[in-house]
Amino acid sequence: MGRSPVPEQGGTDVDRLLVVHCPELLLEDEGGAMLRTFAEVIAAVETYCPWVTAVRPGICSLPSRGPARYFGGEGALVELVQAAACGVSPSEVGVADGLFAAVLAARRGLIVPAGGTPGFLAPLPVSILGQRDLAGLLARLGIRTLGEFAALSDADVIGRFGADGTHAHRVASGRSGEQADLRQPRTARLLAGEPAEDLPVVAEPGFWGGVSDADARAARCLSAAQDLLGPDGVVTVRLQGGRGPVERARFVTWTTGGQPQGTASSAGAGAPWPGQIPAPAPAVVHPDPVRADLADGRGEPVRVSSRGLLTAAPDRLSVEGGPWEPLSGWAGPWPADERWWSRSRRRGARLQAVTPRCAHLLVAERGRWWVEATYG
Amino acid sequence: MFVSAPHRRLGRDLDPAALAALAAVAERTRPIAASQTRLLPVLPPLAGLLPDRALRRGTTLTVGRPGDDGSLSIALALVAGASGAGSWCALVGHPGLGAVAAVDLGIDLDRLAVLPRPGVAWAEATAAVLEGVDLVVLCPPFPPRPAMARRLVARARERRAVLIVVPGRAGWPEPPDLRLQVDDVAWEGVDAGEGHLRQRRMTVTVAGRRSAARPTRHHLWLPAADGTVAGAGAGGH
Repeated sequence: MGRSPVPEQGGTDVDRLLVVHCPELLLEDEGGAMLRTFAEVIAAVETYCPWVTAVRPGICSLPSRGPARYFGGEGALVELVQAAACGVSPSEVGVADGLFAAVLAARRGLIVPAGGTPGFLAPLPVSILGQRDLAGLLARLGIRTLGEFAALSDADVIGRFGADGTHAHRVASGRSGEQADLRQPRTARLLAGEPAEDLPVVAEPGFWGGVSDADARAARCLSAAQDLLGPDGVVTVRLQGGRGPVERARFVTWTTGGQPQGTASSAGAGAPWPGQIPAPAPAVVHPDPVRADLADGRGEPVRVSSRGLLTAAPDRLSVEGGPWEPLSGWAGPWPADERWWSRSRRRGARLQAVTPRCAHLLVAERGRWWVEATYG
Repeated sequence: MFVSAPHRRLGRDLDPAALAALAAVAERTRPIAASQTRLLPVLPPLAGLLPDRALRRGTTLTVGRPGDDGSLSIALALVAGASGAGSWCALVGHPGLGAVAAVDLGIDLDRLAVLPRPGVAWAEATAAVLEGVDLVVLCPPFPPRPAMARRLVARARERRAVLIVVPGRAGWPEPPDLRLQVDDVAWEGVDAGEGHLRQRRMTVTVAGRRSAARPTRHHLWLPAADGTVAGAGAGGH
């Protein structure tokens, strides 16, 4: 909306930060063993920079500009810090502008280039801010991503969402890296061996996810479902790169520990992929191959030539040996040479075929047609 | 925070006047978010389909059509608003979720659990997830017995979840609070070998009890060209 993504003069708090994320040390456990291990991580990281800040249990940050210059760039610094931290406990390291983005970058092991933070944040869901009420209001307005939220004008935001919303808006647009509950001042105090009873443990962690009331309730009921169905009976979905809809989804067994927020929908999900079928994507993907027959106007089978072209214009379709249905339209072919259910890598082709009842995505493999997905 | 859960237990011991006073205090002191939690948000193009312009917790909806085309898309689109706002969702009995389509609609995969093949334990598994998940999309793999369906509807009401049933061929013997039917489905974008599937126009008829007793008809693009859902106006029919 005509607003520049460059931070305004004054009033910004966006430092370039390197964040170390230790997924096994994110709790303030009773005996303090995790906190002691975390103190060792910090000591190891301090070899490269003396200004390490404990953000909360399992997360620390350091300003990256100076050390990066000294050690030959951010990439080199990240490698050194990661090796040092991993020597103590499994760690992920990332760099971005501002603490909020830097934590998300660390969870993904990314270096977000200077000035690239708004673009990095833009595709992430608004729920990642960890503010349920705000996310609910935004959803009712049809605003799903941080980028869409950031595109609202400051005046609209203050009018509709008040002061908290205004701050979240600055975070979403990369103009602030500080978000409520991001820091737990207790941690630094405890690490220094000082009493911290006066400082609360943040009870509703919001942004940190995985342990809110709703998440805990969901975790309990999903465990119960796993008791009934077996571990593989409850799965979550991750997106990855690929040309076809089957390749782009990966189903993984659900675990109580859960994955950090926001990882599912990232990782190349939106990246352009050569030969990818254009959007919109099919709602139903057939996990087991469904046989299909495709024929031309004279009833002769339509095949894919060695050059990836159709031998004739398709006219009718039969699924699993069912009745022939006339095609009201078709499009393609698109190249498909990854293996699907077959182990061998072969050259294939994809085709969109529309019948009076529905639209299918067909794939030619092993010398015949299959229904790979349905736009159900 | 724990105002809602012990309500019913308190109700047995307190007289109605005291209970009403308590409810009034709770309503006044409740944070804004909690007062809205009787409703779960939907994407704006779908608000006009629902009597509350949102999904009412504790209710059951069915989404279906004889050919089945479009039903799962509607069910996914219905949960996308709440999912994007941080609600947990579950999909029971559908082994072939198109994950890219789900994400394009706005579903947060981090809070989506899929129970792809619950088999004969499907009703028990559904009852289990209704305990702790805000929205459940159920595709019954077998025809449900009436008692089974009644029990799941009651469980959704009791746990203040939303149960969205896509009956498919299995059917659903219980009258839902809202019934959505998809028809007049038409794809745009393909010709004989030209272009690609771009968007699908459909008509959704909504009927139900209470304020929704009179059926209403709505035209949607689902998916629209960018994979989301959009209103398609009243034109065409």
